[in-house]
Amino acid sequence: MWTRRLFLKAGGVALVTLGVGGGPGFLTRAALAAPGTGSTPGRKRKVLVTIFQRGAMDGLAAVPPIDGTALKALRPRLAAGETALLDLQAGFGLHPSFEPLLPMWKEKRLAIVHAVGSPDPTRSHFDAQDYMETGTPGRKGTPSGWLNRAVGLLGHDGSPFRAVSLTPALPRSLYGDAPALAVTDLAGFKVQLPGADRAAAAAGQGFEALYEQTSQELLRDTGSETFRALHMLSEAEIRGYRPAHGADYPRSPLGNALKQIALLIKSDVGLEVAFAESGGWDTHVQQSVAFPRQARDLARSIHAFWTDLGAYQDQVLLTTMTEFGRTVRENGSGGTDHGHGSCLFVLGHRVDGGKVHGTFPGLDPRALYEGRDLPVTTDFRAVFCELAGRHLGVAEDATLFPGWTGKRLPLLRT
Amino acid sequence: MSTKQASAFTLLAAALAFCAWAGAVNEKPTTVRLPWKEAGLSEREAAAHLLNRFAYGPRPGEVEAVVRMGLDRWFERQLAAGIPDGPLEDQLRRLPALRMSTAEIVKTYPPPGIILVEAREAGVIPRDLVPGDLQSEDRRELRGKVQDFARQRGYREQKELLGQLMTAKLVRAVGSDSQLAEVMTDFWFNHFNVSLTDNQTRSYLLPYERDAIRPNALGRFRDLLEATAKSPAMLVYLDNAQSSAASGAATTLERRMRRRPPETGRRMRPQGLNENYARELLELHTLGVDGGYSQKDVVEVARAFTGWSVMPPGKLREMAESRLARVRRAGGLGFHREGEFLLRADQHDAGAKTVLGVQLPAGRGMEDGEAVLDLLAKHPATARHLAAKLAVRFVSDAPPKALVDRLADIYLKTGGDVRRMLAALAGSPEFWSREAIGAKVKSPFELTASALRATGGEVRDPREILQWIGRMGQPLYAYQAPTGYPDRAEAWVNTGSLLNRMNFGLQLAAGRVRGIGMDLPELNGGREPASREEALNVYARLLMPGRNLDSALKLLGPMVGDPDLVRKIDEAAPKDGASEVGDRRPSTPVEQVVGVILGSPEFQRR
Repeated sequence: MWTRRLFLKAGGVALVTLGVGGGPGFLTRAALAAPGTGSTPGRKRKVLVTIFQRGAMDGLAAVPPIDGTALKALRPRLAAGETALLDLQAGFGLHPSFEPLLPMWKEKRLAIVHAVGSPDPTRSHFDAQDYMETGTPGRKGTPSGWLNRAVGLLGHDGSPFRAVSLTPALPRSLYGDAPALAVTDLAGFKVQLPGADRAAAAAGQGFEALYEQTSQELLRDTGSETFRALHMLSEAEIRGYRPAHGADYPRSPLGNALKQIALLIKSDVGLEVAFAESGGWDTHVQQSVAFPRQARDLARSIHAFWTDLGAYQDQVLLTTMTEFGRTVRENGSGGTDHGHGSCLFVLGHRVDGGKVHGTFPGLDPRALYEGRDLPVTTDFRAVFCELAGRHLGVAEDATLFPGWTGKRLPLLRT
Repeated sequence: MSTKQASAFTLLAAALAFCAWAGAVNEKPTTVRLPWKEAGLSEREAAAHLLNRFAYGPRPGEVEAVVRMGLDRWFERQLAAGIPDGPLEDQLRRLPALRMSTAEIVKTYPPPGIILVEAREAGVIPRDLVPGDLQSEDRRELRGKVQDFARQRGYREQKELLGQLMTAKLVRAVGSDSQLAEVMTDFWFNHFNVSLTDNQTRSYLLPYERDAIRPNALGRFRDLLEATAKSPAMLVYLDNAQSSAASGAATTLERRMRRRPPETGRRMRPQGLNENYARELLELHTLGVDGGYSQKDVVEVARAFTGWSVMPPGKLREMAESRLARVRRAGGLGFHREGEFLLRADQHDAGAKTVLGVQLPAGRGMEDGEAVLDLLAKHPATARHLAAKLAVRFVSDAPPKALVDRLADIYLKTGGDVRRMLAALAGSPEFWSREAIGAKVKSPFELTASALRATGGEVRDPREILQWIGRMGQPLYAYQAPTGYPDRAEAWVNTGSLLNRMNFGLQLAAGRVRGIGMDLPELNGGREPASREEALNVYARLLMPGRNLDSALKLLGPMVGDPDLVRKIDEAAPKDGASEVGDRRPSTPVEQVVGVILGSPEFQRR
């Protein structure tokens, strides 16, 4: 604790000497980033970006076996409306709406894990999301989320932007002792009094002085961290942010969230774990309308993010997750109901890409979970452990996922 | 001894034991003597400390009023609660759900999904409509149709219900004179947390707080425990409503009807044991994580609570009612209904159980769960757990062990009397020690309530200020985990939330939080301070009475006195109204000073 606070103080001094506000952002940031990072000097921090697909994505619609006979028999009405699948050359097809992901697959940056999910049998969105976010299936009382534990296990001091969720409220994944920030609009991250910007700026200086000198240690330290964070982000840079390399983010909540994550990564403010959400996957009715729309948004957002990152791709590993899959049979409303196993996407330079990982059990009725769902053959913790372990360097699997004794699923190349 | 005799005997023994325990509760008004003088505090300082801890902070003139009444007397009145709230009651009367029964609420505010299903069945909207599509711009007409349909059926939106719950919480915290009752309602709700993030619990949250928590907030812990255990909100949130005897285990119903359990274990859904409630009951509600129970105990407790369930909503309800009527004619058969609570004898595991080394005989129904609650309420680990939690809430994040031990002792001696524990807390030297004063960081809700109380702010429309509470990190009734919000400074103070606290102070004082009425000049008797320094001195004392403000004022002084800063603030005020957005007028110097006070580190503490 002592050391951390000293670092913060050092950061504050660096700020003053550089004259924050006027000076070029990158200079200040370099000064700020220097102390307390704890990682090898000169090496950029690794960032784990997570997207939670809320509502339970139909993994079989996303990545079906390329031989579609079995699935067509189970989903005659859904199959009738389908356009041709994209061939992943691995025995699987990709739903055409995921087309923007295809280049990354071909470059072997993108991998798929199939029949992944939770060992808990619940088909409640709330419970299943809760279990996936705490990382403790079947246990609701776990106080912290797995991403927060991952941050805590990094073992070095962090920036105020170390763990950021681009959501209105902190997600369960980030509950816990490590400081985490929930923000939907980075441009709003400042002392503000709408319509009176300069009064706000003056008040901001007043607050900074007050918090710097208050006797309560926590308020003082967090206050200095807050102002440090404010000085790290320039509003002008945020408002004027232009995605690089012609990246074209969809104007959707997810597109907007990933754009801001890209901005944070490029601003080098110490981001290590980021969280975003994608909604609307609960396709009980008319899946042939809802699924393609959500899939396109997800794929376009990820594609834009990856394009935008350019040279920063090296630092970044992105993964999607969803609470469970959907029934292999269609229901009476042209949709699918709550199921069990689904699939997820992992994207990054070190990813063993262009492959469908895990064990796909097939669609034979005898292979199905409770006679109706794709079984879970890979525990989601085997994937998350691999990602947090190999990408972020978190070694303590048993702390990251208490009570889990399984093995990591190899997904990253050495 | 036959099984029947045995169970009757155990039941009697349990009842007697409970009576003895309950008999220790002192129903007379509690008298207290608060040792603030011994701690070297002035009477004003002491009154302010009381109001900051056992109330949501002082209102204008309230420190003086408490001094006039006498601190002991004020605290005794708070412990007794039930102080009439005149004008506040009128305000609350405008919230119709507060007076509806749970069944009425469930019927009036159905989940949006149910409305859509019914609208589809009634042919109001096309059968193939994707729910998400209803949000899009071109579906406004359809949306209108659904709304009309819902109105015709007498349905109202669930967010309206939740809005009423949150509104009531806020206006009571700000305006009720029974402040301690409100503080304790908040404390116990958080202790027995349920969350609106689980949309199955939404209809039940208001009755949960109203019927299970508030009436018992200053009573006996055992009552609170049972009220929460039987509440639909808890039964749904922690899945006990779905917990039933494992396949092959005989149920109470089968026993009473002398039927054998089916070999295959095929029963009506739900099927099988769910341990969630049992585990949190032990870990969070009673014994605590180090309370000395095993996984075996969790399973046995879960078995004791199998069949503790909820009357179903919607169409299934009539079916359930008529079946229950038949069951009643057959002598009850072990079914038991209390309001929305239903013990399903057809789901209850009738086998013998052993919980924490205590035998629960076979063949019982309702008594199993009740016996477990007795056992847990009387357990020394529960006493320690609750004592520590109360000390953390009212004294400091790391309360002295001696205090916790004393409180635990009082809990055990008084049969879990919350009032007596609070009296002991307020009577303890630890509570009045210098280190304890201002040691707690306010939660965002406490900050909001205390800011409104300090400024005499009036809640006309709570929507925007509720959003602020969420932004500062405490969306009301929305903490997803059963642990409830952590009660320590680190959980509240982080970069994002601190910035939002500063902005909240600034914008509240500047009248930029819509729906809040505030008259800052009136606070100072309509007198306008001659300078910023004076404004600072006057308003800091008004907003933080009974506190030693020397150091705070010294820090704030240069800021408001800085000529450069004054110039900046003056410049910031637009020269003509045209440059302001909408109805925004420039903020006045008093508003700016008050904004800085409300956002200052000093005001974040209680």
